[in-house]
Amino acid sequence: MKTIILDDIRFSQFTPENLPESLPNIAKLRTAQINLKPQVCIERAHYVTRYLRDLADKTEPMEIRYAKAVNYFLSNKKPQFFDDNLLAGTTTSKPFGAPVYPELTGTHIWPELDTISTREKNPLLLSAEEAKELNFDIFPYWMDRNILEYTRNKYPHLQGLGLLEKLVFFFATKMGTISHTIPDYHVALEKGLESMIADAASREAGLLQSGASSPEDNQKLAFYRAVQIALQGIIAYAANLSSRAKELADQTSDPQRKHNFLAMAEICKKVPAKPAETFREAVNALWIIQVAIHAENINMAMSPGRLDQVLYPYYRKDKDNGRLTDKEALEILSSLWFKLNDNTNLVPETAEELFGGAGTVPAVTVGGINEDGEDAVNELTYIMLKVTELLRLRDPSMNARYNYEKNSAEYLERVAEVVAITKSVPAFHNDVADIKTLENQGIQTAHARDFGVIGCVEMGVPGKTYDASSAIMFNLVSSLELTLYNGKRPITGDEVMSIETGDPAAFTTFNEFWEAFKEQVRWMLGKAIELNEAFGLVHQEILPTPLLSAFFDGPLEKGKDLIFGGARYNASGTTHIGFADTVDSLNAIEKAVFIDKVCTFAELLKALQADFAGYEKLHAYLVNKAPKFGTDDPIAVKNSQNLIRFLYEFYQSHTNYRGGKYKPAYWTMTNHAGQGKLSGALPNGRKANKVFASGITPASQAAQELTTCLRVVGGLDGLCIPMGEALNLKFPEVKIPEDIKRFAQTVEAYFRSGGLHVQFNIMSYEMLLDAKKNPEKYPELLVRVSGYSAYFKDLNEAMKDEIITRTEYDLHRGMANPFPASDEDLLSNK
Amino acid sequence: MKDILHTNFINETQVQNIAQKWLDSMGPEGAEGFLLLLLKLMDVVFMLNIWNFRDNIKDFNGRYVFHSKDNSIIASASFKNGNMKVYDRIIDKPNVTITFRDDKALTNYLLSPKPDILGSILRQDVTVSGNLCYLYKFAYMAKRLQLLATGQI
Repeated sequence: MKTIILDDIRFSQFTPENLPESLPNIAKLRTAQINLKPQVCIERAHYVTRYLRDLADKTEPMEIRYAKAVNYFLSNKKPQFFDDNLLAGTTTSKPFGAPVYPELTGTHIWPELDTISTREKNPLLLSAEEAKELNFDIFPYWMDRNILEYTRNKYPHLQGLGLLEKLVFFFATKMGTISHTIPDYHVALEKGLESMIADAASREAGLLQSGASSPEDNQKLAFYRAVQIALQGIIAYAANLSSRAKELADQTSDPQRKHNFLAMAEICKKVPAKPAETFREAVNALWIIQVAIHAENINMAMSPGRLDQVLYPYYRKDKDNGRLTDKEALEILSSLWFKLNDNTNLVPETAEELFGGAGTVPAVTVGGINEDGEDAVNELTYIMLKVTELLRLRDPSMNARYNYEKNSAEYLERVAEVVAITKSVPAFHNDVADIKTLENQGIQTAHARDFGVIGCVEMGVPGKTYDASSAIMFNLVSSLELTLYNGKRPITGDEVMSIETGDPAAFTTFNEFWEAFKEQVRWMLGKAIELNEAFGLVHQEILPTPLLSAFFDGPLEKGKDLIFGGARYNASGTTHIGFADTVDSLNAIEKAVFIDKVCTFAELLKALQADFAGYEKLHAYLVNKAPKFGTDDPIAVKNSQNLIRFLYEFYQSHTNYRGGKYKPAYWTMTNHAGQGKLSGALPNGRKANKVFASGITPASQAAQELTTCLRVVGGLDGLCIPMGEALNLKFPEVKIPEDIKRFAQTVEAYFRSGGLHVQFNIMSYEMLLDAKKNPEKYPELLVRVSGYSAYFKDLNEAMKDEIITRTEYDLHRGMANPFPASDEDLLSNK
Repeated sequence: MKDILHTNFINETQVQNIAQKWLDSMGPEGAEGFLLLLLKLMDVVFMLNIWNFRDNIKDFNGRYVFHSKDNSIIASASFKNGNMKVYDRIIDKPNVTITFRDDKALTNYLLSPKPDILGSILRQDVTVSGNLCYLYKFAYMAKRLQLLATGQI
C-alpha cells in the first residue's frame, strides 16, 4: 500500500458552503461559470475556411493542407483572458463558446441562424454579423465538402445513408465526430513540443536521405511535415497568449491580477514548447494542447484521461521543493475544471430531442492501478475528488477507477462520499473487470492497466488506443420491431425498411423468432458498419489529423496518421439503445406465446398495434408475469446473456478501415428517451412512445431487489462488453457518514460480481418530480444521464421523465421504493 | 395574392403587408397552396432585391424539388446566376428533393416558430433525398423571409 502524504484526504477545511471565504477566487469563478450563457463561436470556422478556400496550395497533399489550416487558425486565434482563471488559453473566442465545425455538422444550424439566440431550448447567442458570415461566407464553401455530403457524392448507392437519415435505426456518428479518444500528454509535458517537432523533422530527414520515393513514402513524408506544421501552430498560440498576458499585466493596477498575468506570461513563453517543470506549467501546457486539439478535432469526448497520474510528477516535485501547497494545487486544478467547461456543443434545436443537455464530455479518470499493477491512488486523486465536490460542474465527466484487489477501502469510501455530496459524480469503474476485457482485446497488460475513460463510459488507453468509441449508436428496438413486423416499423409506415424475415404469427418456436431477430440485427448492423467504413475512408481523404496524431504512440513510428491506422491499437465502438426493453420483449414473447401460451403471436401483434387498448388482461400479464432483465428469472438471464454474446461475436468478426475490431458497448446518452418516443408498444408491456431504459440498466420498476439486480447485471460477460456499459442507479438518500460504508460495499459487491461500471443519482422520485415542476428551485441540479452529467433543467421532457422513473432503491432495505401513484402515468408501461 | 405576386410593380412595404396578411391567415395548420405561394413570394423578393435578399443567391446554383407524398402538390425551384425560377412540375437533376405529408407538415418544417426539421424527419412527416445543405440554405431563406416580412428582424 502506498503512502498518501495528506493530513486529511477530505480537505475538510474547504466545503461548498464556505467556498466564498475559503477560496474566494474559485467561488467567484464558479458563480460566473454557472451563469454564463453559451455563444456560437465562428473563429475557427472563419480561419480554417479562409485558409482552405483562399490560401491553400491545392497541389499539396491534404495532410499538409489541413495542418497548415490548423496552424493558420492557431497562429491567428485571439488570445483571450476573460476572468481571473490561473490558466491561459480558451477553447473559443467566447467565455462559454460553441465552436462551429462546418466540415462536420456545423451547417445543421443554418436554418436557425436568425433564431438560435432566442430559441426556447438551450439558446446559443449568435451576433447578426457572425450569422451573416456563416450564411454568406462559411457555409456555402462547405455545402458539398462536409463529410456527409462528400460521402453521399462519393458513394451514391450506400443504403446505410438513407437508413441513417431516417434517424430511427442507428446513428453513424463519423459525419459529426471521430474524437472520442484520449491523447497522451506525458511526452509533451516531459520533453516539450519543440522536441516532438525535432523528432518528426528527424524522421522526415531520415526518410528523405534514404531516397525513399514510393507513394507510401511520400505519404509518410507529408505526415511528418504536417505534424511539424500543426505543432508549430500550438507554439505560436502559446506565444500570443504570453504576449497578451504581459500586455494585460502592464495595464492592470490590481497587484494580484498583475501577478497572475505575469505568471501566465512567463508560463506560456516556456510551455508547451519546452518541458514543463512546475505543476502549474504542466497543467497550463496540458490545457493549451487540449485547446489546440480542438482546432483540428471537434469538441466531443476528447478526454484528458488519467490526470492524477499525468500530473503527479510535477505535483510531487513542487511539493518536495516547497513550491506548492495543496491549497494552491486545488486552485490550479479548479482553474482547469473551469477551463474544461469553457465550451459546449453546437446543437440544432430539434437535436435537443436526442442529445439535449449534453456537455462536451471530456472525461477525467482517477484512481485504479498503475502499469506495474500497483495502487495508483495518490494525493492528486484526492485533490481532484475535492475539486469535483466543491465545484459540481457539468464537465469534466469525472470517473473513479476502483480496484478491489489493490485500492484501499478508504479511497472507495471517499469516492462514495463525493457522490453522496454532489448527488451524482464521479462514476465508478471496475478496474479488475475493465482491465480483463481490455486484455481480452489484445491490449498488453501494462497498457490495459493504464486505461482511462473516454467520454461516457468507454475504456481506452491514453495515447495508445484510437477508439472512435461512439462510431455507431444502434437502436436494438428498431430491429426488434422489424422482426415483429416482417421488415417494417410502425414509425416508418408501410415501407419495408430491411429484409423480410417472416410473419412471426407463423413461428412455432421462440427460437424461430430469435433467429429472425438476429437476422434483422445482422442486416441493419451490416448497413451501419458499411456506412461507418465509408465515412472513415472519407475522413482519410479530406480530414486528416496530424495534430492529434502527434499525441499518440504509434503514428510517428509508423509514419502514419491516426486516421490511417497509425495508433498502436485501433477500434470502432458501437453502442446500443434499448437493451433492457429488447431483452424483456424477448422474454415476454418466449414466456407468453411459447411457454404459457396466454396468447398467440397474432394476438400479441394485435395488442401491440392497439397499444394494448382492449388487451388489458394481456398487458397486465406482460407487465407482471413476463420475466424481466435485472431479476434472476432463468429466461431473462438466458436472453440477456445470449444477446450480449451474439452482438459481441458479430462485431468481433468485423475489422474496420484502420485495422481494428468493432467493439460493443451499452450506454445511451439521451437516445433511449428520444428513440423511445418514436417506437411502438413492445411485448414487455412498454407502451407506445414511452422512453426506453437507459444504458444497460433494467427497465424502470422491473428489478425490485437491488442485490439481485446487481448480481445479474454484473453476471453479464464483461469480456463481451469491451467498450463499456452504463448502469444507472438511484438512491433517494445516502447519509454522511453513517451510510457511506454500506454505499461503498454495495459498489464493491457489484464489482466483485463482474459489473464494469455504475453511476448514481442520489435523489428521490419526489425531489425529481418537484424539479421538473419547479425548475427555478433547482438551477444547479446535476444528474447523471447515461454516461455523462447534465443540468436537469437543460434536459428535454422525455429525458427528465426517464430519470424520474428510474427505479429508486432503499439502500438499507435493498428493495425498490414504490413509484408515487399520483405520477404513475410517467411509467413506460402505463 | 397570387396575382399580385405575378407583377413586378410592388415595393418593400407592399410585399411586407401581403406577406404579413398571408402568414397571419395561415395559422399553425398551414395553408393550401402554401408551397407555391412561398416560392412565388421568394421569387418576387429576389427579383426586386427587397431587403438585399438577392445576396443570398449570388453565385449560388441549386435545384429543388418539393412534392407531397401523394404528388397532389408539386413544385420546383432553381437558382442560377442570382436568379430564381419557380416551376409547378418536377425538374430534373435536383440537388435535393423534399417529400412531405401535407401542407401542414411543410409549414411546420420551414416556418413554425420552432423550426422542427429534425422532428419532422423523426415523425416521417418530411423525407429528404439529396444534399441536406441545400435544404438548410432554403430553410434559412424561408425563415428569414418570414421574419423580415413580419417585422421580427
